[in-house]
Amino acid sequence: MNVQEYILSGIVESYVMGIASPEDSADFERMCAAHSEVREARNAFELQLEERLLAQKLDPPRELKSRIFSEIGMEKDENSPRIPLRKPKLVPRIGFAKYVAAASLILLGGSVALNFYLLEQYKKTIAQNKELVDAQTQVAGTNRILQTKLATYENALSLMKDPLMAIVKLPGVPTSPAPLSMATVYWNTYSKDVYLLINQLPRPNADKEYQLWAIVDGKPVDAGVFNLDEGVSFVKLKTIPKAEAFAITMEKKGGSTTPTMEALYVMGKVDG
Amino acid sequence: MGLTGTYTEQELVTALKAQDDQAFSYLYDHYSGSLFSIILQIVKSPEVAADVLQEVFVNIWRKMESYDPVKGRLFTWMLNISRNASIDMLRSKNYQNSQKNREITDTVYGNDQVTQTSIDSIGLTKFLGKLRPEQRVLIELAYFKGYTHDEISQIEDIPLGTVKTRIRNALLQLREYLK
Repeated sequence: MNVQEYILSGIVESYVMGIASPEDSADFERMCAAHSEVREARNAFELQLEERLLAQKLDPPRELKSRIFSEIGMEKDENSPRIPLRKPKLVPRIGFAKYVAAASLILLGGSVALNFYLLEQYKKTIAQNKELVDAQTQVAGTNRILQTKLATYENALSLMKDPLMAIVKLPGVPTSPAPLSMATVYWNTYSKDVYLLINQLPRPNADKEYQLWAIVDGKPVDAGVFNLDEGVSFVKLKTIPKAEAFAITMEKKGGSTTPTMEALYVMGKVDG
Repeated sequence: MGLTGTYTEQELVTALKAQDDQAFSYLYDHYSGSLFSIILQIVKSPEVAADVLQEVFVNIWRKMESYDPVKGRLFTWMLNISRNASIDMLRSKNYQNSQKNREITDTVYGNDQVTQTSIDSIGLTKFLGKLRPEQRVLIELAYFKGYTHDEISQIEDIPLGTVKTRIRNALLQLREYLK
């Protein structure tokens, strides 16, 4: 291959365009050094290419020149740190956003679940509290009843212990509708107050009441009515200044002026 | 001559080797448009092309000392720096990821038509259109994609000798086209 054939082989264009192989390029540079025709052929093609390409401009972004000058300006000043001015690459942030979104949903879900849980707990607590208040009220009520009963019993006990108290046993009379009945009169010999302990008496009908009679000078005197409601077993009745005996009959509600002898349950004499 | 204005090519090279800001400004004003055009023909995206052009001019500034006028003209040197930088960009992972996204966007919106049309009508890409298909493929792979002759031989499954011959014949047509 002579020089002219070499020039027309396409190597000039391949070399200038930068697509010749390294071996071919090295070969071409030797040929350029050795043959002015090759150099001239190369130069002619370069000029053609340059003229054509310089006529085919597309404007780069306006701010690019200042960006480039800033970058090389930094490099010129040895003391300045080199700050890369390349526009940061648009790295898709979707991956990160996805994690944030996922985390938000998880947190939201957790929050909703927690709210439901706390609401349920709150309702439960309210219900439990109401139960406790009710129970407490009930206990307080029971306590009040027990306190009252206790006071009554304590009071009764202290009365019974009183040395001035005369005790009159009233056993069931043979004609009593309930012969096994029994009652006890506690009669304060100083104040003349009469208390009655019901040991054993049948419960009267709803329209009837028991009535205590004091026998004074052979005549019955009303000493008060009582019933057996609410388990009452110790009652204060009327003050009786003087009596030889006590008796209990069942009368109509409210009591009678004279005792019904058929309904005499118990009777006992006062010890002289 | 490709140069107009106050500098001859020799003066410009001397000033640039001395790191003269004014000479560099002149260089940018006169060559950035055509280099941007070449870069755009390879990387296709104007945003990416701008990034590449910035890198190219910074490299020209840094490597000016290594430019040897004996091996070719200044513009040829800058053209090859631009092409190499563009092909490096094509092969970078960032670019390949962004292209995938771009293809999807372009498919949906078709907004790349204008750019593509303008690229097709300029410079070397326009020349590509004048080649026979079997030559066009080889120039596309060699010049615009940066594959070596060996690689093209494997990709196209044709003998290495045939690759060289077809490329050189295509480039001889380029000389005619440029006249």
